[in-house]
Amino acid sequence: MQPVRAIEQDVKDVQDELLLKTASGDQSAFAELYRLSSPRLYGLCVRMLRERGTAEEVLQEAWITVWHRASTFDRAKASANTWLGTLFRNKAIDRLRQRKEQVLDDPDLMNDLEDDVPSPADGAEQSQDYLRLSECLEQLRPQQRRAVREAFFSGVTYNELAARCQVPLGTMKSWIRRSLLQLRTCLDP
Amino acid sequence: MNIPTDDSNSQLRYAEYVLGVLDADARAEMERDIAASDAVATAVALWQRRLLPLIAESVSIDPPEYVWQRIRHQLALAQPPAAEHPAATPLRWWDNLRFWQGLGLGASLLAAACLVLLVVSPRHSSPTAPYLASAITQGNGRVGWTATVDLDHRLVVIVPTRPQAIAQGREPELWLIPKGQRPIALGMIGGDTPVTLSLGPKLLAGFGRGAALAVSVEPPGGSPTGQPTGPVIAKGLVGASSTVIRFSGGRSARPLDS
Repeated sequence: MQPVRAIEQDVKDVQDELLLKTASGDQSAFAELYRLSSPRLYGLCVRMLRERGTAEEVLQEAWITVWHRASTFDRAKASANTWLGTLFRNKAIDRLRQRKEQVLDDPDLMNDLEDDVPSPADGAEQSQDYLRLSECLEQLRPQQRRAVREAFFSGVTYNELAARCQVPLGTMKSWIRRSLLQLRTCLDP
Repeated sequence: MNIPTDDSNSQLRYAEYVLGVLDADARAEMERDIAASDAVATAVALWQRRLLPLIAESVSIDPPEYVWQRIRHQLALAQPPAAEHPAATPLRWWDNLRFWQGLGLGASLLAAACLVLLVVSPRHSSPTAPYLASAITQGNGRVGWTATVDLDHRLVVIVPTRPQAIAQGREPELWLIPKGQRPIALGMIGGDTPVTLSLGPKLLAGFGRGAALAVSVEPPGGSPTGQPTGPVIAKGLVGASSTVIRFSGGRSARPLDS
């Protein structure tokens, strides 16, 4: 696995550099960053928004924001990977908040989305950070683990999360909060 | 506005914001706090670092090319044409990426070639090959597994084209979907090793025209309900072996054929 890890690190470094160059207005760096990072970010948007058309719109909007806001990227605070992931998730969540009605679970969506809990697409893409997080998630109770994943990928509020998991709101809140604190204890050295 | 402290209430609020469970008003308030306070921004960034790696669990999907064209178009309004050929200066990672993609393609070709050999070399003499095959393809268009069905011996040999990452505590299960019918469980398969499954005699009829194979992610031992409960991560039509050869091998299969 070592060479794969090394390449993963390479890709991350390159991503950081491309984002820094984008911040200085380098259009070709921006294009490279798009090619490198879009499949993952688009996959995330499709999964969260459950609809490709909307996901494309969010993708487009978010990349426009990347171009304009790249100068706020601070390598010391977060990797480009995290910075981009945050920006795209936030865009997707904003879109979900606008769209009051959630798309109901449709069996066809499963085929469309292909993937759900928790099967990383590609062995090469399991970063060290992910492996640590997934180990810590494994230590949570199954229901709470599911709730955290559902929250992360559905981007819905506590209310809706509770409805989806068919538990009272208070229960959901305490599941999530306990899980978050437990994750922090597990992740922080 | 909330003055940042390290107490667990504010920590929870940052975490809930990053996880995405706050409603629109609470999110907006949080965003104001982030903009107003470096300490809050730093605390939130820490939570992002903790939780964002979970993104790795969503599958990469190539966006349609027109999305990039639209972005370029939209930004060109603000930025006069400076870089007409943005991808003209390939970097090292690009070569790497191509290399890895090439590997994937190579594996598919190899798998196709194996299927050709399998079909061409054996001892059978009947004009209708007693083999069927399927390229079980993932959402990203890559073949995840190849399956060869030996109708005479009622066996399915299923081979991953490269190691498939399956979540801890989950296993891939193979399903036969006869045309217009519900999935039928064929058995648990490997994420990184070839597996041979035997087929009950009743199952053979299910491999008629239009049948498909699919792989879903299930608890160890298989779906408890008899129907897929986890996500379907790959699927492919079952055809006479030539379908597969055309699908993934292109012309390279012909010399072996003749």
